[in-house]
Amino acid sequence: MQRQPLIIRRGHVATLASYIGVAALIAAIIGLIWQGGVTPYIGAAFGLGLLGIILWAVMTPTEFRAFITGRGVRFSTVTVFSTLILIGIVALTFLLFQRNALTLDLTQAQRFTLSSETEGILQRLYRPIRITGFYTSDYLPTREVDDQFFRLYETESEGLITRLYIDPDEQPALASRYGVTEDGQVFISYLNEDGSVDFNTLARVPRASNQERDITQAILRLLISGSIRVYFETGNGERDPLDSTQEGVSGINAGMQESGLVTLPLDLGEIAAANGDIPRDAGAVLFVRPLTDLTDPEISVIDRYLARGGALFIMTDVLYNENPFLKQAGRFNNYLWTFYGIRALDAAVVESPDTSGETPLDIIAAYVYTATSLAERLDPSENPLLFSVARALQVNLETAPADMANGQITLSSEVSYGETDLRTLGDTNTYTYDASVDLPPQLTTVVWAWDQTTGAKILMVGDSNFVSNGSVLAASGNGVLFTDGIAWLTGMDEQIRFGVQGYNAGVPLIFIDTGTLDLISFITLIMLPGIVLVAGLAIGARRMRR
Amino acid sequence: MATWIVFRREVGQYFASPFAYLITAAVLVLTGVLFNSDLQGSMTVKPAEPALVPLVMSFTMIFFAPLLTMRLFAEERREGTLELLMTAPVTEGSIVFGKFLGAWFYYTLLMVITFIYQFILLSITQPDVGHAISAYIGIWLYGGATLAVGMLFSAMTENQIVAAFLSMVVLFLMWMGDQAGQIVANIDVARVVRALSLQGHFSTSFASGLIRAEDIVYFAGIITVVLYVTIRVVESNRVR
Amino acid sequence: MIEAKGLTKRYGDRIAVDGISFSAKQGEIVGLLGPNGAGKTTAMRMLTGFMPPTEGSAKIAGHDIIEDSLEARRNVGYLPERVPLYPDMTVRGYVTFWAKLRGVKNSKTAVDAVLARFHLQDRQNQLVRHLSKGLKQRLGLAQALVHNPPVIILDEPTIGIDPQQVIEVRDAVRALGQNHTVLFSTHILSEAEQVCDRVLIINKGKVIAQGKPADLRRQLQPGSTLFVVLHGADKKKARELLAAVPGVTHVEAQGDGWQVKANADVRGELSASIGAAGLTLLEMRPITTSLEDVFLELVKEV
Repeated sequence: MQRQPLIIRRGHVATLASYIGVAALIAAIIGLIWQGGVTPYIGAAFGLGLLGIILWAVMTPTEFRAFITGRGVRFSTVTVFSTLILIGIVALTFLLFQRNALTLDLTQAQRFTLSSETEGILQRLYRPIRITGFYTSDYLPTREVDDQFFRLYETESEGLITRLYIDPDEQPALASRYGVTEDGQVFISYLNEDGSVDFNTLARVPRASNQERDITQAILRLLISGSIRVYFETGNGERDPLDSTQEGVSGINAGMQESGLVTLPLDLGEIAAANGDIPRDAGAVLFVRPLTDLTDPEISVIDRYLARGGALFIMTDVLYNENPFLKQAGRFNNYLWTFYGIRALDAAVVESPDTSGETPLDIIAAYVYTATSLAERLDPSENPLLFSVARALQVNLETAPADMANGQITLSSEVSYGETDLRTLGDTNTYTYDASVDLPPQLTTVVWAWDQTTGAKILMVGDSNFVSNGSVLAASGNGVLFTDGIAWLTGMDEQIRFGVQGYNAGVPLIFIDTGTLDLISFITLIMLPGIVLVAGLAIGARRMRR
Repeated sequence: MATWIVFRREVGQYFASPFAYLITAAVLVLTGVLFNSDLQGSMTVKPAEPALVPLVMSFTMIFFAPLLTMRLFAEERREGTLELLMTAPVTEGSIVFGKFLGAWFYYTLLMVITFIYQFILLSITQPDVGHAISAYIGIWLYGGATLAVGMLFSAMTENQIVAAFLSMVVLFLMWMGDQAGQIVANIDVARVVRALSLQGHFSTSFASGLIRAEDIVYFAGIITVVLYVTIRVVESNRVR
Repeated sequence: MIEAKGLTKRYGDRIAVDGISFSAKQGEIVGLLGPNGAGKTTAMRMLTGFMPPTEGSAKIAGHDIIEDSLEARRNVGYLPERVPLYPDMTVRGYVTFWAKLRGVKNSKTAVDAVLARFHLQDRQNQLVRHLSKGLKQRLGLAQALVHNPPVIILDEPTIGIDPQQVIEVRDAVRALGQNHTVLFSTHILSEAEQVCDRVLIINKGKVIAQGKPADLRRQLQPGSTLFVVLHGADKKKARELLAAVPGVTHVEAQGDGWQVKANADVRGELSASIGAAGLTLLEMRPITTSLEDVFLELVKEV
């Protein structure tokens, strides 16, 4: 039997390598178009393709050169192949740069750069966060614009924040699980260990004019969620945070939970009886209209709490019982007046019928001090506040204790007065102005105090009805006062607040007279094209001339 | 060197052609009208749009790039000078590059003329200069890509009108790709289409004041690929 | 200067040029002669480097047209059949462009010289589009010569211009032959005869004959042809008489006389036998064969 010597020639290997290389590259390009991104398989195909081509080039340089220069091989085939290879290289480079998100923001307002505040917040992340956007193909350009922001977050958070886009038309079940109501909605949530979305932490990112603020605030809410606890005092006949009737305050309770706060009940009487303390993690304690006044042991529990920087949100009403909460001469009122310079008065605010709501006892805050961060959104024309049967409060502005900042937030009008005959008011619901005993205008209805040494904060509102389920929506200022109050008391506002990058910050408007405008029109519409046209005509004329 | 000589001739050719002046004047009238109306509309209401002129040009280039480039090879072919060029001791690469750079240079001059709008804005208000610079860098690359496409079609046919028409159609499609989402239901396909479109790499990035490396790669890539194909098409004259 | 070996160009199944081999020395003017579609232009295009040959090779001034294409092209001046012009350039700009593109160091001097040579100086600032046809032809020549190439290839340079200009161009080509190797194609034989040192006759892509115009003529028509007019004999008798002369191969009536073909000089014998037959010889003159005849002959044979 004759033995056939197996001869492997360089040429054969090179040809084989070239075929494999080109096939792999084509497969990679098709995969790339199909998948719209680099998967490991596509990367491998690209690698194989390049390897094949390089092998071919190294083993038979002359043939390779002939191929590249296009001689001796069928021209069109070569052109198609080499063009595909070139496109592949360009596409790969493109995806590489896209992945790395190398950008240069040239806008004056640095609109496409994360502020240092946002960067600081991203530093604090410890758990993977997922930004999920729902866009149909109609919303593709919006998605691309949004994506520029989202990928900034992804890059800056070193991958802790990831993006996911879902077409709600294709996955309607998933969209309804997220609660998608319209195109282009974006959600943010923590991811579980297994990479699935933690639906307990899911929140929708509002779509306003400032995307960075919206996204960063949403991230912040995630970050602080669970870390701030707010206690409702429940042992003294307060409005019930679980009561969903008109009288209850379940609305604000749910609202705080949605914002990432943890709300818990607290019985001050029990604590005082056990000689205990308000829990250390309490971000704020809410008194939503206790009925009876606090006892001495209870006051000392509160004193200890405030001494370590606690925060109280006191909502007090005009009460007609024997031992009403925060009665003017009571121990607790006295304590507050002595140490914090604020107190409640035993008087109901009566407004002039002209300025009030339905009855003179419906108090629309006539004056608001919006200078504090607490009240800056409370402009009466935009967010009016509505109290019903408000209690007059007082601030000691002259002799406030040392290191104590305090002040008023809302005042009644000049034609209001403080009705001190509460018994008559309570029994017959009638009131008359008696200059000798009633209080003159203007009357304070919301006050605050802040001990700068201990950090203790107190916000006192002379009404509790404003947060009841029945009336929290009656005036937009009611919800604002409550949420901003909670934010101030718990320190949440300081965490969320950061430099707002206005859309057109620093770019002034145009003010010019019509003469200048006409001159500009003349220059741009007549002179400039005119000069060019004349030059063209001159050239044309020269062409005509022999 | 040969590239430089071809480039010089092409630039000279533009300046010797009344048609090129006509195109420039048309572009200036168009941008001028929109600039003035924007100025009037935004007075005391909003700041001037810094990317206005580049945005206008991004659309007009679909029509003007083919008009500026249709001559480049079609005329050489018609006059027979292409044969002479290809027997000169120069490579197709230099010819194609020289011509492309010539067209791009002329376009750059046109673009520079529109800087006058920015100077007007600077004299009456304080526009966002960085934003405008970004938009201009974008439209410069964008213009380069459209000119490359126009030149490719010029190299493929002897008839200038056919060349211009074909490249307008292709450029229009590449421009329309931005709106792919309205037509294509599948968002991933739409995304790929948009990633291939001219607008997709201009309107939401350069024109908003953001320079992204990937967009530069896109335009540079379009120019590279199209010029390469053009070189091959010109070479194909040899073996025809 | 030009060395072609088996140059072949195929377009699919059709062979345009089929294994042409020839060489041309410095200072030689070589004519490519052939009917339209014979493959002259294709052959020239391969030599100028415009298109690569399918098979075979060629060297221009020692540079291979494939391996060393750019260098070969640098040594060629080429004027295609249709003069390629940029209508919107000035005469000077046009020539300068080609000078620079072909790497002429001192382009200003070279352009001045070539414009002077073709009497174009006073038109140097005119636009090319305004030139007459003859001037355009001269401009085309100027373009081909501006870089002073050793090899000049001219594809039918006298086509479509008026007779006066044809003569100018032919003189110009003749003058070129002193310093350059000129490859010159034409389908007009008298032109090739006048201008060329050597002629290649091409038909259907093949060289079917080559040599000096005079040699070609002799080689293909070794005998002589005479025109004879007799008086005093009827046609039949005269034909018999003429045919009987030794050496005469063919007798044919032509007008009022006879065309007599012979394989040697038979003038003496002819007049002697005419005299002997008592007839009067009114006229006898030789008919020179032109290349035209040679050409037709050859083309017919193939």
